[in-house]
Amino acid sequence: MAENNLEAPIRGRKKDKKKAKLTYHAMLAPGMIFLLIFSFAPMFGIVMAFQDFVPAKGFFGSEFVGLEHFKYMFNLPDIGKVFRNTIVIALGKIIFGTLLAIVFAILLNEIRLKFLKKSVQTVVYLPHFLSWVVLSTVVINLFNLDGTVNQIMDFFGLEKINFLGSNTWFQPLLIGSDVWKEFGFNSVIYLAAIASVDPGLHEAAGMDGASWWRRVWHITLPGMLPIILLLAILSLPSVLDGGFDQVYNLYSPIVYETGDTIDTYVYRNGLVGRDYSFGAAVGLFKSIIGLILILSANNIAKKYTERKLF
Amino acid sequence: MIQGNNLSTKIGKFIIYFIVISLGLVCLLPLWNIVAISFSSGEAVAANLVGLKPVNFSTKAYEMIMEDAQFWRSFSISVQRVVIALALNLILIVLMAYPLSKTKREFKSRNIYMNIIIFAMLFSGGLIPTFIVIRNLNLLDTIWVLVLPGAVPIFSVILIMNFFVGVPKSLEEAAIIDGASPLQILFKVYIPVSLPALATVALFSIVGNWNDFMTGLIYMTQVSNYPIMTYIQSLTIDIAELVRSGTNSDALQNIAEVQNRNLNAAKIVISTIPLLLIYPFLQRYFVTGIVVGSVKE
Amino acid sequence: MIADSFKEFKPLIVLLVLTILLTACVQSSSNDGETTTEDGKTIINIGRSIGTNHKLPEGDTFEDNAYTRAAEKELDIDIRNAFEANGEDYDRQVALAISSGDLPDMMVVSREELKDLVDNDLIEDLSEVYEEHASDYIKETYATYDNRPLADATFEDSLMALSGTEALSAPQMIWIREDWLEELDLTIDEEGDRLITLDELEKVAEAFIENDPGDSGNPVGIPFASFLNAGDYGGSAFTMNSIASVFEGQPRKYLIEEDGSITYGSTSEGTKQALEVMNEWFNKGIIDPQFGTRSFDDIMALLTNGQTGILTGPWHIPDWGLSTVREMDNDARFAAYALADDEGNVNVFEQATTGRFIVVRKGYEHPEKAVQMLNLFYDVMLNTKEADMENTFPEIAEYLERGVDDSTKPFNIVILPNQKYLDDYQDVQAVLDEEMTVGEITDSQVRQNINGIIEYMETPEDALTNSWSNYHSRIVGWGLMNKLTEDDQFNWAEAAYVGNTPTMEQKQGNLTKMEEEDFIKIVTGAEPLDYFDVFVEKWQNQGGDEILDEVKEELAQ
Repeated sequence: MAENNLEAPIRGRKKDKKKAKLTYHAMLAPGMIFLLIFSFAPMFGIVMAFQDFVPAKGFFGSEFVGLEHFKYMFNLPDIGKVFRNTIVIALGKIIFGTLLAIVFAILLNEIRLKFLKKSVQTVVYLPHFLSWVVLSTVVINLFNLDGTVNQIMDFFGLEKINFLGSNTWFQPLLIGSDVWKEFGFNSVIYLAAIASVDPGLHEAAGMDGASWWRRVWHITLPGMLPIILLLAILSLPSVLDGGFDQVYNLYSPIVYETGDTIDTYVYRNGLVGRDYSFGAAVGLFKSIIGLILILSANNIAKKYTERKLF
Repeated sequence: MIQGNNLSTKIGKFIIYFIVISLGLVCLLPLWNIVAISFSSGEAVAANLVGLKPVNFSTKAYEMIMEDAQFWRSFSISVQRVVIALALNLILIVLMAYPLSKTKREFKSRNIYMNIIIFAMLFSGGLIPTFIVIRNLNLLDTIWVLVLPGAVPIFSVILIMNFFVGVPKSLEEAAIIDGASPLQILFKVYIPVSLPALATVALFSIVGNWNDFMTGLIYMTQVSNYPIMTYIQSLTIDIAELVRSGTNSDALQNIAEVQNRNLNAAKIVISTIPLLLIYPFLQRYFVTGIVVGSVKE
Repeated sequence: MIADSFKEFKPLIVLLVLTILLTACVQSSSNDGETTTEDGKTIINIGRSIGTNHKLPEGDTFEDNAYTRAAEKELDIDIRNAFEANGEDYDRQVALAISSGDLPDMMVVSREELKDLVDNDLIEDLSEVYEEHASDYIKETYATYDNRPLADATFEDSLMALSGTEALSAPQMIWIREDWLEELDLTIDEEGDRLITLDELEKVAEAFIENDPGDSGNPVGIPFASFLNAGDYGGSAFTMNSIASVFEGQPRKYLIEEDGSITYGSTSEGTKQALEVMNEWFNKGIIDPQFGTRSFDDIMALLTNGQTGILTGPWHIPDWGLSTVREMDNDARFAAYALADDEGNVNVFEQATTGRFIVVRKGYEHPEKAVQMLNLFYDVMLNTKEADMENTFPEIAEYLERGVDDSTKPFNIVILPNQKYLDDYQDVQAVLDEEMTVGEITDSQVRQNINGIIEYMETPEDALTNSWSNYHSRIVGWGLMNKLTEDDQFNWAEAAYVGNTPTMEQKQGNLTKMEEEDFIKIVTGAEPLDYFDVFVEKWQNQGGDEILDEVKEELAQ
């Protein structure tokens, strides 16, 4: 479009454009070199997924077994359940985590007391820094049979629930505690997105006497939409990640039924078998699914919003 | 913002403040608990007696850390790492995000680069091959191994690219007419209007590099080279696992002694402080739209 | 068009070519050639499994400490750490070193790694250097296990590694708060043979729950870990192994029956009977009602804050697990008992080796140094009398006093004669009975322990927690072992220790998961006892039978 509007001499512009293109390649070069060395060079290791990798034999000596590991994965007795658990837990975290982060960012933006705003913002992103090894004790103390939550429920005459040992409550517990840990940190991006919304639009709407709800709905949210969509799409590959550390620190055999995820499953198998190849096969499978998801989502986004996100 | 003085807006305001403050409190509690633990005695912690205030107040854990030379060595390694990584990440992010924010018409190879990047984001060669590459580059046990493998944070590149796409074209066109080169356009037009977003990815870089313990665990063969979180992680041993693997009883006893959860809590508190200090500093870049507005005039 | 699309894919092609080039050049590995220091000392790069070093004197590290300096002086070697890490992280470093073809000169590996290294001809045959250099004491040490540790490391008549030893086969003990027993005036073990029955244990647990001697306000029954059973002695903290052994079930163990057949203990009738008892206890509230979801830390908390005073575990649990109980309650004391079956016997499985091995890289010029280090650390230093220690190894004498543990030795591995702890116990007793002086004890570590024991026995209230622990593990724990050995109460079951068979590598993870889940269901009553038979059937069909066949085959070799 630019070339139609501007009336620069055509020759000079062509030269400029060529030069600009070269500059673009040059700007990308350093980053690409890093990716080349540290991401692409090690990718020869993907062959491991098709081998029976033994460290002592190395990549050249290990026996090729074709799709054996993938077949094995799909023939595991509980694999369906494990996949279902993983997807339910991961989707729950993505959906509720995103919603709360957006709502929180919008609400926080309404706070006018600078001190309060800054302290709340700092405080909510704290749990992100704590590892699940540490946070799991907090969660356990809150939710076990003698825990704070049960004491409160007891006070109101409700029946006690063993959240950590209940196949009904374990997944909501995982989702809830993860949302709590991450929403503050996730809201940082949304705050940046809100900050990028043109304030002129708000001013104009304010003069028109639009209510707060209407302005959030018609200005803030549409302004944030590209970022919300982008993050949603980028989080798609993680639907096969249940969040290893969290599950590992909170689950027990009682809730394997609903709490066992792909990662914990592979981990326990790996401990016994040192099965590098199986781990690699599962990883490759997750990557391929992730790629399919992310590309299709990108195309769908293009179809409906007239805009590709990457 | 909510304006006006009628009752419903007042109630609305009240509800918003209430929700925001409660969310804040809910997030403060775990850290508060950890601070309380760090100031309690070991046995009170082991007995699960510590809630929101210290039991048998003691600063012993902090005294022990003060004497722990390795803790401070690791701390300084992490500071160096964060500084180098932040500079490197930010430069690479903006340099990559700008050409990628061009349309295919403006920059023909753009989509191929994009696909390569997406591929690199999703696929990895895995632990062993990456280790072999890094070992053969002679990077083991250097500060560079903590920084270089993560030099291109792809998520952040894509994020910034999207912010750049949203920058009004008119700004760039004006600069082109003035004869600015792409690099000048990037630094004079795009970066100033994207400060909130850049502050966000800077935060990601700092937090990610500070918190990452896995890289150190794998590529540092000597404990003396561990960054802070790796060092803390190496001390939080799952004693149940160790007992099962047949460690001898004297070694177990010594491990149990440093296993004190109050000591670990104190380490977490100290290692979180730098992140607490950084955030308010970055917060000033989140101020709504001022920059966009000022450029426009 | 073609030229156009080529142009378009140019970056991609360049990238591909570069990747291939890079991959090709990273494949070639380098090896530092240096083998001796300037002053002629032999350099040994070792893979070092470490613990924690908070008791090391300032300036000392895992790479440079009293042990490495002693080795440098005595053996003319310079020990360097090719890598150092603890626990699982060490295992990862070993795998990385092997995969990248950059083996350290010496390191400690697992049974599976040993097998792989042998199969691929990456380590030295140690048969000759062992024969020539190993001291008599080291050879005798292995002989006390009928040389099984050596057989374990022997492949086609060649000794490929130096094996660690288990040192003690013992029953899982029942630890009970002795001060509570006295407070409630409960008598158990009237004969004084240190044996109790399941009924007696139940009685004690009931009394503890009813009277809450710990004043916790919320007493719980006996706590158990969610994994419920352990396959090795060291891991048996908070498991039900001892309850199963009353019925001659040995869960998680592959056992060699008298007729030579192989069985898996978790599927035995004895284990089923034990689960029946556990289920009854759970219903009566004898077992912690939150059993199944308690983590290790949670159980420690129950003990520390006085909610429970009964636990199952190995002899050394007072050293690392119970010390916080004493710190919380200065009067806390534990008594240790063994559970006996109807005939008054204690059923125990026997274990020979730990599955940790020292190996030497193929082509390393001085494999004999590994054996000489073994002599130095597991014979000479161990058997140096007190009077000589100050002169020969003054620094190590200081280490022992400070309580620096064995993980600072270059090889973090245990090599001790079979049932050595019984001899140690008798030495300790002899000193307490004034039949011997501390200086006469040969084992330098036991000499250290006894000072704490004496301190505790003289002033139990004021003694350090460390002394409290030493007393409980050495006098109470070892004492129980000694008593049972003297009274000849043991009924040994022979356990087959084999590495991971191919089917185990593939299916063990899943079988274990099923076992843990099903056992918890039976104990908590989510499934009836008969469900055990369903479990056995599933176990057999999902790989168990194959595993048994493979174990049998491996043992036949």
